Amino acid sequence: MENKHMGTEVEAAAHPLAETARMFIKNKAAVLGLIVLFVIILIAIFGPIFYTTDPEDMVWMAYSPPGEEGFLFGTDYLGRDLLAQMMQGARVSILVGLSAAFMTVFIGITVGALAGFYQGIVEEILMRITEFFQVLPTLLFSMVIVALFGASLPMITIAIGAVSWTAVARITRAEFMRIRSLEYVAAARAIGAKNNRLMFRVILPNALPPIIVQAALMVGSAILFEAGLSFLNLSDPNIISWGRIIGDNRVNILDSSFAVTIPGIAIFITVLAISLVGDGLNDAFNPKLRGR
Amino acid sequence: MEPLLSVKDLKIEFDTRYGRVTALDGASFDIHPGETLGVVGESGCGKSITALAIMGLIPSPPGILAGGSIKYQGEELTTAPEQRLRQLRGGEISMIFQEPMTSLNPVFKVGDQIAETIMLHQGSSKDEAMDKAVELLRVVGIPEPTRRASSYPHELSGGMRQRVMIAIAISCQPQILIADEPTTALDVTVQAQIFELMREIQEEFGVAIMMITHDMGAIAEMADRVAVMYAGKIIEEGKADDILDFPGHPYTKGLIGCIPALGKASASAQTLPPLAEIPGVVPPLHLLGKGCAFADRCNEAHDACKVSPQLKGSPHAVACHAYRGDVA
Repeated sequence: MENKHMGTEVEAAAHPLAETARMFIKNKAAVLGLIVLFVIILIAIFGPIFYTTDPEDMVWMAYSPPGEEGFLFGTDYLGRDLLAQMMQGARVSILVGLSAAFMTVFIGITVGALAGFYQGIVEEILMRITEFFQVLPTLLFSMVIVALFGASLPMITIAIGAVSWTAVARITRAEFMRIRSLEYVAAARAIGAKNNRLMFRVILPNALPPIIVQAALMVGSAILFEAGLSFLNLSDPNIISWGRIIGDNRVNILDSSFAVTIPGIAIFITVLAISLVGDGLNDAFNPKLRGR
Repeated sequence: MEPLLSVKDLKIEFDTRYGRVTALDGASFDIHPGETLGVVGESGCGKSITALAIMGLIPSPPGILAGGSIKYQGEELTTAPEQRLRQLRGGEISMIFQEPMTSLNPVFKVGDQIAETIMLHQGSSKDEAMDKAVELLRVVGIPEPTRRASSYPHELSGGMRQRVMIAIAISCQPQILIADEPTTALDVTVQAQIFELMREIQEEFGVAIMMITHDMGAIAEMADRVAVMYAGKIIEEGKADDILDFPGHPYTKGLIGCIPALGKASASAQTLPPLAEIPGVVPPLHLLGKGCAFADRCNEAHDACKVSPQLKGSPHAVACHAYRGDVA
């Protein structure tokens, strides 16, 4: 590392993230995942603007196969345009995925940071709470939340967040415990930094890489979770999501499998793309895999 | 002259799985404005604990401040509220650490890290602080300070990083600079440069330095006064010249004997005595008995050593039953 800079004193300072980005680009699968994800997000944002068919409108007979009468993906059990529904559903699935992941990370970092930084009694209490949430059967617990408080979109997001923040909390705590004993934390303390500053300005930036990876994967699992709840009819019946489309059409799965397959493939591709990106981030953040 | 920092009978204990052990047992010393106090001893003698205690940074638990006082310009620090200690840390008393490789935050530019300290203590704006950070980098002898301010720590060598640490430490014109083995992790030529820099800074800013080291050579180079520590106690204290020329305690003699005599002009390779060593290691703190902690390793030990000796004498104080005054 030292040698690299000896001959080239006048070299632009490379941000640690620039190095990470370079590593990420080397990972072809991760780049492919990122491109696919980008396309899906573009379609979700702009699709309904250009393809103006109302996804709620009955436009043709039920279960018209893909391609007939100009309906690219065919129609669903009520004769609604499946393509329009898919694009609408993409918005909902991605929105739920992102906001649930955001919530997960927010709760997880807060709990994990406090537990890892203060240790002692604070850690005991917070980690017992974390373990309590960890042993709850996740699907069952979120079903209870949705059943009790209604199947609105925010409530579903909260239900997903409430059952999946524990992984982030544990990772954050582990990173905090590792980093808090490092010398630069002692040095920051020695120049008079407060605890809040130590936690969020000194330790957290160094703890972020594994949390970012976990957050990326969390988006994928949140999308799956939402699909699962929707499939079980536990989502807002007025909101179209990919899981909802599968759930609504599943009674006719043998006759018109396309109406279930198409959203299924969409979920599969999206979650796969997210996983590839997460995996790529994981490798890119791992200093051991960096070429010198 | 009124001492800047006055430590009296400081006692620090740690809860370990062997029970409560005394890591620092009644240490007393003063630091006067502008002087350099060298604190010397092997690993595990309580040097760093003393430094951390002054900063109020003893990890607690397991550390316990069991007694004694630390006065900074007459102000008691052991009972001072955390908020006051935070003002002092970095502002009045600052510290340089042993490992320049790990004591800078790897994800921030060094300029930002210096500026942050300045903003924290002096409430200046970001731009002012950055200008000052660049100026400080120049003061500590970093070439192209403007450009280096936007370097990340991993782009700097060990010596450069220690210079940055010194820049952070002096950024708010502290009265006391505690240097905890500042050159241990650096190679010898860089060590000399860092000592040179510390001396320059002392002259320019009039800061008092408490230098912790296990290297008698560094003491000879830097210190005005010396406190020799062994197993949590100060066993010899006095002017650096006195102690280097007339060491009173067998342990101090041993430490001085450990310096290779390369520089001594008359000695040819044949007549050079073999390099001395102190047999054994510092006893684990939980195994310390009533007697002199050094007795097991001491070739001058006798019956009296079964009772722990007191630190006696002024200005050259020695804690040894065998010591009979500055007659060596």
